[in-house]
Amino acid sequence: MSLQPQLDLEPRIRLVDVKKSFGQTVVLQGIDLHVMEGEVLVLIGASGSGKSTVLRIMAGLETADTGEVWVNSVPLHDPRRSKEIRGHVGMVFQQFNLFPHLTAQGNVTLALTKARKLSAVDAKQKALAVLERVGLADKATNYPSQLSGGQQQRVAIARALAVEPSIMFFDEVTSALDPELVGEVTGVMKSLAKEGMTMVVVTHEMAFAKQTADRVVFMDQGVIAEQGEPEQVLTNPQNDRTKQFLHRVLDV
Amino acid sequence: MNFSLVFDSLPLLFQGLLMTLLLSVASMIGSTIVGLVAATLRTSRLPVGSQIARVYVEIFRGSPLLITLLVVYYGVAYAGYAMNVLVAAIIGISVYHGAYIAEIIRGGIEAVPHGQWEASRILGLSSTQTFTSVILPQTRKLVLPPLVGQYIALIKDTSLAFIIGLAELTRQGQSIVDRVGQPVLIYFLVAIIYFIICYPLSLWVQSLDRRRLA
Repeated sequence: MSLQPQLDLEPRIRLVDVKKSFGQTVVLQGIDLHVMEGEVLVLIGASGSGKSTVLRIMAGLETADTGEVWVNSVPLHDPRRSKEIRGHVGMVFQQFNLFPHLTAQGNVTLALTKARKLSAVDAKQKALAVLERVGLADKATNYPSQLSGGQQQRVAIARALAVEPSIMFFDEVTSALDPELVGEVTGVMKSLAKEGMTMVVVTHEMAFAKQTADRVVFMDQGVIAEQGEPEQVLTNPQNDRTKQFLHRVLDV
Repeated sequence: MNFSLVFDSLPLLFQGLLMTLLLSVASMIGSTIVGLVAATLRTSRLPVGSQIARVYVEIFRGSPLLITLLVVYYGVAYAGYAMNVLVAAIIGISVYHGAYIAEIIRGGIEAVPHGQWEASRILGLSSTQTFTSVILPQTRKLVLPPLVGQYIALIKDTSLAFIIGLAELTRQGQSIVDRVGQPVLIYFLVAIIYFIICYPLSLWVQSLDRRRLA
């Protein structure tokens, strides 16, 4: 029986036999994966296992060599239609990728006024609302360089949320943070998960995976080696590779 | 030192100075526009556009400005159009210095981390919106000091427009020398005037550089 929620819905994300190479290096050798509405999927695995590439393909930043990629019913494998996904999903990056020349508020409003054609007043209102949601309404006029790493990453989450995405992608968003700042970012992510946001998260934070994931996918050398409920994959893995990986990660 | 000669030559030199300033400002604007367009093409994903921009840059970096000015001036004349000397000089200097400015701006564009493009793309910004609202503003700090340095070179290069007969500062100096001699004195005066224009810009570059490194 499938581990996915039994809903009579088209999956939000559907990957069918996705393969990807960079030059001679085979990164993904046939990935099949579904993500349902409201599901929180956590991808784990060693660096080079292909987990970030899967995420970037889902977000439309990379194109699969072969296979089908459906996100929000948009066929990302079809170059004529893949652009349709832009502005409808959100992504948060390891390096924040905030716009350094704009304030926190400016970072949020840019896409609202330029891509969504909102008026300046509406965009500002929306920006303050999403900044409030990540607990940073009082930092609206600060530039990224004036914020801590954790605050910058929360601004990045707010910026992504402002366009009301139907899916949020998180690519190792706490890896560049000091350990004491990780909690404020995962805290926001947990509250998003609780509100029913569909999320795909690449992370090394096993505690976050255990508490928040609906399903954990362990990737190894470009294939899905194991997947299931977090309790099962993280505490009682069946695959030897998963065991080794968890041993390394949890022991450090 | 012949003070009355210095004094008598001032009005002519002043006329030349005005022409030099006009030519300089117009060519700065022209070369910046040309450079911006070439840098945009060069960094774009249009293979043809990027190649055209590359060839343009290589041609003008590999040929003397003096020759560029002569080709523009006589080329247009042979094509059957009469061209104002000033316009010919502005075009020649703009396309020549535009090639250098294109490389300066390209360096700035390529220094912006790729993640800025990715974040913009996911947010739904078009390539043009990303370029104008996200990438270009971030290049300012990096591009401004070498750009002003290029402007200084441009101002000094306007003296070459004397070859096509434009009555700018160097040409006026030359015409004074032709009439009354005293080449050392007159050309020394001309050099001082160029220095007075360029030195403040040079100081500005230094302060920009200090700020950039600070």
